[in-house]
Parts: sequence; structure tokens; C-alpha cells
Amino acid sequence: MMYQPTEILIERGEEKTPVVQRALAKLAHVPVRIVEKDWERAGVQAESKDAFGAGKRQLFFTRQRSRFLEHCPAGTPGLVCCNYLVVSLISNCPMDCSYCFLQEYLANNPVLKVFTNVDDMLAEIAKVVDRQPWRQFRIGTGELSDSLALDHLLGFCSDLVPFFASRNNVLLELKTKSDCIDNLLSLDSQGRVVVSWTLTPAVIADAEEHGTASFTDRLRAAQRVQNAGYKVGFHFDPLIEYPEWETGYQQTLEQVFTTIDPRRVAWVSLGSLRLTPTLRKIMRQRFPRTRLLSGEQVLCADGKWRTFQALRVKMYRTLTAWLNELAPQVPVYMCMETAPVWQKVFGRSPMCDKDVARSLTAPNLGQQIAAP
Amino acid sequence: MSAQNEILDPKDLKDLEAQLAAYAQRKHLSPATSDRWQAWQAGDRAALLTCAEELQLGENQLKDFLDWLEEIALRDETAIQAVLGQREIRTALTTRRSRNDKLKAVKTALRKMRYPRLTQLEASARAAVKALDLGRSVQILFPPAFEGDEITVTFHARNTQELQERLSRLQQRVDDGSFQRMFDVLDEV
Repeated sequence: MMYQPTEILIERGEEKTPVVQRALAKLAHVPVRIVEKDWERAGVQAESKDAFGAGKRQLFFTRQRSRFLEHCPAGTPGLVCCNYLVVSLISNCPMDCSYCFLQEYLANNPVLKVFTNVDDMLAEIAKVVDRQPWRQFRIGTGELSDSLALDHLLGFCSDLVPFFASRNNVLLELKTKSDCIDNLLSLDSQGRVVVSWTLTPAVIADAEEHGTASFTDRLRAAQRVQNAGYKVGFHFDPLIEYPEWETGYQQTLEQVFTTIDPRRVAWVSLGSLRLTPTLRKIMRQRFPRTRLLSGEQVLCADGKWRTFQALRVKMYRTLTAWLNELAPQVPVYMCMETAPVWQKVFGRSPMCDKDVARSLTAPNLGQQIAAP
Repeated sequence: MSAQNEILDPKDLKDLEAQLAAYAQRKHLSPATSDRWQAWQAGDRAALLTCAEELQLGENQLKDFLDWLEEIALRDETAIQAVLGQREIRTALTTRRSRNDKLKAVKTALRKMRYPRLTQLEASARAAVKALDLGRSVQILFPPAFEGDEITVTFHARNTQELQERLSRLQQRVDDGSFQRMFDVLDEV
């Protein structure tokens, strides 16, 4: 389902930026308003009963005035982290997954914002990665939004892919639940871009991941992207515990690896559904029919509810066993898990965060992709 | 929350609304809790009202009940009144005992329905500790919510002789392999 905003808002002075021009050309029928930079603070959307949902339908083009590059917030003390960096060109997401943490994180500024100063972002990244040529970086754009869901309107890929293609110590990950991949197909990433899909069994995707591409469409998009020369990745995160999870995930994995060439999969991640108490409350209000709150979850030391350890370890072990059969060469890692859980699932726990990062940034990754 | 819409006599419905409002006022329920309850199907509302009256549920207890009942009903695709009508809940509600004991029994039964595997794990852990037969002066604690991989063993002793006796009993359980069960239970599901 293609995103259509009800209104476009443009910060005064940003009207002529390339991204605004590209979007306006595609959304000629949508009303446009020029607003001041602090427009959002006036709380225009606050009168709506579902401010978060309403915010998604307003598309606001503005300049990012703070830093773009951040450490992934999953790096919480007590949990093993993969040293991932994130940049956000978009804040909030056109999709509306019932479990999405943005519902809490962006509760006070839910308007779907697109940052117009792409050049500033690229300069900031260049400054960091070019200064440390010996270090391998992984940077993702899928933290505060879906990386590709708006690309048919914004065309950010045409800015990002050539930039990353020209550097050999950084991988860009574009993380999505969409099938908006057309802009990627004609670009040569030199193996420096991994396009990854978050997957859940179709029954969960249909019920809980509102406005996303169907499981089948995501898989078809992944296949096209892989055929175009990209490595792809898959995130089974959140991993959802529901009565038929074993059958659901087994079928999902089988479908993935009968469609996708496992030799050209960069990584697979696993991560249990995790919900803060506030997010649970929001989910109850916004998605009263969600079944995700009905799992056997407990409050963990980091303040998040997760499926209780024995059960989620069983889920991780089951999925890793299937992955070992279907795609033994693909690196598998877990997101936001403790060292004891790593030990139970993989029989080892990383010595430090850099261990995980290193296994995901093989220096010859680009060459592997260039010569399939 | 009910699977099917109910047709209730308007007078009965009005009575139910009045009873629920009176209960909410008596127990000083927050508008959010009260509204959430009121939003249920009439039969579900009535079933919880009977239970709440019997147990004299206050705001916090009632919130747990609302959460668990909604979650069970969604998971099992059933009506809340059907959940409350299950034998375990009815038995806990109708057995003669103090209000506190009754509340404890109903919550235990409801929690078991809400968390069947977790409560099974808790029962296995209790049984495993009991089977070790280390006596009351040696306490074995599993990590909170069974998260983690560490077990805490606490000894209570008044002198070195007692300590020696407890240590050797524990050593025996380690040597014969029975203590391993404590660690195995952490992965049991």
C-alpha cells in the first residue's frame, strides 16, 4: 500500500531542496503549506484522539539541526550489542506496526518528518568513517523509520547508494518492510549496501504490521534486489511467540531460502519481542485487538517485557537450527539479548561488542557480492 | 470482548450500568479503569462485576484482572465471561474461605490460565528444590522471573558443625548429579 499524506508541510526556505522537489512532483495533488521551522512545537496535531496516527499522515520537510549519526540505542548495559550506527533522514514511519517502539519514542513529536539537508548527513558520515579507514562500520537508516517505504517519493537511495559505494570501510543497511525497491535496481552499490527485510510469518504480518507489504511481496522484492547484485539481510525481530509459532516460522524460513540464494545473504538477526510498560499501554489503546500482549512475557532487568527466557531460548534455538540447515554459511546474531542467552543459544558469548560487529563486516563482503 | 454481540433487555443493561457505576464510585476507580470495563460486552461486564463484588477488587487488583482477562480472551478467541466461567475460577470463587484467601486462589487460577508455561516452570522449579531435600536451612533461589543463568544458594547455620553438615549434604547432591536439575529447570519449557 503506497503512502499518501493528507498534507505536505515545508519549512520556509527548504522549498527548492532536491528532496522536496522530488516529492512534490510525485504528490502534486496533496495540499502544501509553507510553515516556520518550529511549526511542530505548536502542537497542531495534538487535538486528534490518535495523535501518533494523525502525525503519520502529515509529511513535514524540515532541516535536521542536530547530529545525524548516533549509536544504535539497542546498546543497553547488560545486553550484547553489535556496534551498529544509525542515521535518520526520516522521523516516524508511514507504516503502523502494532508493536512499533516509535509509538512511545515519538509520542510527543509524531509528525512524519523528512530531513532536507542530505548533504550535511553525508558530510557527517564521511568525517567519521574517512578518519578511521582501518575500521569497518555498519550504518543503518531504519531506526526511526522504514528505510525504503517512502523512497518512491523521496528518492534518497540515489543520494545514499553512490556515497556508500565509494567507500570500502562502511556498509549501509537499508531496513524495510516494504517492496519499494525500484530505485535501487539501477544503482551499483559496489557491494557496500545491504538491503534487509524484517519478516514475521504471514499471519502475524497481516494482523500486526499495518500498511506494510505482504510477506510474499517483501520476499519477491528481496529476490529482485538480490538479482540486481545486492546482498540482502533478514531480521526475525521481533520474534513473535504465538500458539503456532513453530509451524509459522518454519514455513517462513523455508519460503525465504527457496526464493533467496543463501550465499548472498549478509546476515540474519533474531530478537525477541520487547515492550516497555508504556508501549504496552499504548498498544492496548491503539490496537485493542492485538494478540501480541497475550504472550507469556516477563519484565526483564532493562525494564522491558519479553517472552520468558526458557521459551525465547527455545525459539532462538529452534530458528538457529533451521537456519543451520537451510543457510549454514549465513551469520546469525541476536539483538538486545543478554550474555547468558547468547551462551545458551550459540554455546558462546561474544567477548565484547566488537566481536559481533567484526563477524558482520567481513572485509571481502564487497568482493563476494561483486563476484557471485 | 465477547465473540458474539449480545442482545440484552435495555432495562437489564441499564441496571448493569448503574451497578457498575456504583461499584466504581464505591471503590474510587479511576475513569480510565472504569471506562475500559464499561467498554466490554454486557455479559463480560456482568461476569467481572460478580467476581469483583465477591472479591472486593480495588483499582490495582482490578487492572490486573482487566489485563489478564482481555489477554486470555484474545489469545483463546473466547469471551471474558467464558474465561471467568471456567471450573478453576468458579471453584476458587465459591469455596468457603476468607476474602484474602479467595482473592489469592482466584488470582492464582487466573495467572495459571494467563501464563500456563511460566507457571508450569515455577511448579517444576519448586518440585525440583523439594526433591533435593536439603532442608529449610538451605535456600535455593532462581533468578527473578527465571531470567539469567545463576542460582543463589543460601545457608543458614548457627555453628561450624551445622555449616559442615549442610555443605556436605549439598556436596552429595552435586556429586550424584541431582543438583544439575536446578540448572536444567531454567531451560525447561
